[in-house]
Amino acid sequence: MSDLVLGISAFYHDSASALVADGIPVAAAQEERFSRRRHDASFPAQAVRYCLDQQGVSLADVSAVAYYEDPQLKFRRVLATLLGAAPTGFESFRETFPSWVAPNGKLRTVNRVRQELQSLNLGRVPDVIARRHHESHAMSAFIPSPYESAAVLCIDGVGEWATTTMWHGRGNELRPVAEVRFPHSLGLLYSAFTYFCGFKVDSGEYKVMGLAPYGTPRYAQVIRDRLIDIKPDGSFRLDLRYFEYLRGQVMTGAAFEKLFDGPRRVPEGPLTQREFDLAASVQKVTEEVVLKLARTARERTGESKLCLAGGVALNCVANGKVIDAGIFDEVWIQPAAGDAGGALGAAQAVALEHGAQRSHLGTGQDAMSGSLLGPEFDDDTIAEFLHAHAIPHRRLDSAALADSVAEALADGKIVGWFQGRMEFGPRALGARSILGDPRDAETQSTMNLKIKFRESFRPFAPAVLASDAKDYFDLRQESPYMLVVAEVAAAQQLEVGQTNATGLELLRLRRSTIPAVTHVDYSARVQTVTEAANPAYHRLLTAFKARTGCPVLVNTSFNVRGEPIVNTPHDAYTCFMRTNIDLLALGNFLLEKEAQPAWSEESDWREEIPLD
Amino acid sequence: MRTLLLFLLYYLIVTPIGALSRLVRDPLKREWNERADTYWITPARH
Repeated sequence: MSDLVLGISAFYHDSASALVADGIPVAAAQEERFSRRRHDASFPAQAVRYCLDQQGVSLADVSAVAYYEDPQLKFRRVLATLLGAAPTGFESFRETFPSWVAPNGKLRTVNRVRQELQSLNLGRVPDVIARRHHESHAMSAFIPSPYESAAVLCIDGVGEWATTTMWHGRGNELRPVAEVRFPHSLGLLYSAFTYFCGFKVDSGEYKVMGLAPYGTPRYAQVIRDRLIDIKPDGSFRLDLRYFEYLRGQVMTGAAFEKLFDGPRRVPEGPLTQREFDLAASVQKVTEEVVLKLARTARERTGESKLCLAGGVALNCVANGKVIDAGIFDEVWIQPAAGDAGGALGAAQAVALEHGAQRSHLGTGQDAMSGSLLGPEFDDDTIAEFLHAHAIPHRRLDSAALADSVAEALADGKIVGWFQGRMEFGPRALGARSILGDPRDAETQSTMNLKIKFRESFRPFAPAVLASDAKDYFDLRQESPYMLVVAEVAAAQQLEVGQTNATGLELLRLRRSTIPAVTHVDYSARVQTVTEAANPAYHRLLTAFKARTGCPVLVNTSFNVRGEPIVNTPHDAYTCFMRTNIDLLALGNFLLEKEAQPAWSEESDWREEIPLD
Repeated sequence: MRTLLLFLLYYLIVTPIGALSRLVRDPLKREWNERADTYWITPARH
């Protein structure tokens, strides 16, 4: 029997569980998908149950449980921070210190994990082993990558001490090369601007990235002069006088406001040119640092491949710049680059110590199975659900389903696409997606207003047949996990001509043959789709291309604003009925909105979902 | 009551230790060093 190791990340944000068999990921999911609370930080009990059920095993069959960070080491960093901030950090001390030293506080997290696992009654609990936060990221970046050897960069907010780490991976070994430590953090710098622009820290960073193309980086020099000292090798320090995170529970205060022309934007308030320019500036400086880090990683390891993880690796614009710079021949990014992926990396670290080999090497593929590691519902289960609730539907074979959905998409319909195993990581990759026609300029606003119930300044992401990607995007390599931004190919770009449009109006201008996925700077967050990674999705894209000549679809996550991505057929049907999605493909079953009975709920569901 | 205890703990113990430790060496290494070539640290056990 395979050696099974269970990984867990929890108690900060995006709790998750992952199961590896002889080091290969076989199941992984974030707790939010089960609890329906976005970024759920609680113990991932349901995700653990799922991982074990998926393999038909109990905890007694697992050789070890790996926790994604070291609470003892983290506490030492917290203490040093409290000492370093005194006497101005009482608020932080009052909030933080008791939560660590309480009888079942964070200092005893490993015990708590053991107790939580015991309370699940899933068999004898094996040893619980704490790994280091950045080691977990680095393992998740290198071990499942398709490379025999590579440089590895992990960049995030903070775990224990490290905030940026460089590693050298060879075979089954991963050696730390260098690190930058807290309080100096590129992730926290970006989060400070996220907070200052009125978005939520640890979730709104992608909005800052999406806002950047509207602005000019007029604050970039101020950031370089006052906030961050960047050495030529990419290492850096922040000037902590401008940040509040050592002293309190917020990111920025008066000193930051003085530097950037006034108080922070009120959340949900109007976006002004200042926010556009702030976003453009912090994005530019982040890219500069990441590029320098990548060059140093190349020099210090001599490797021609790079693996990335950590929250900053979700900055797909910066990833695109690294790839375009040609510093490395190829770059692989862990699809669950944030803390959820730490569960996977921690499990892999322990599996390697148990003797696991990277058996996927030589296949030319990574070991992530397209990141489709979540729950799956077969057609029998879906049929049971549909019959139990008397939901009108048609059952089709796979080819007919792809053809019917492609026809509806070409007619401008919006389709909920629920197929196979759920994605692990923050992106919908064609298993739990809402799809539309990218050729229609109206698709972006229709999908936002009628389905996501939001105004959005970001275009949606395109999914493209990998074999046609170069005709549509200036992409130097495949992007299976939608973590690379590339420019729309010149052949697809259109002249915008004279316009008086400014700010967010710019997004409404048709600037390519696929306007719904083209940002104002002609960039697009691309997912390349292969038959091997996702046959059903590939079949649909092929059918859409056969019908329209266009091998691209609009892909957005299957949820409404503030809600986690759907997990079950029930979640998908509820989202379908609450929104203006026209068609739902649940496995091989097709549900048309007109055929459905009227939908009613006792309360206003929109009030129950917090804003993101 | 808890806040009072935390207040006393913070200002009678944490603050003096913090001030003294910073006199010797800032535990957070906040200063910028224009003459340094790098801020990289070689990983070691903490």
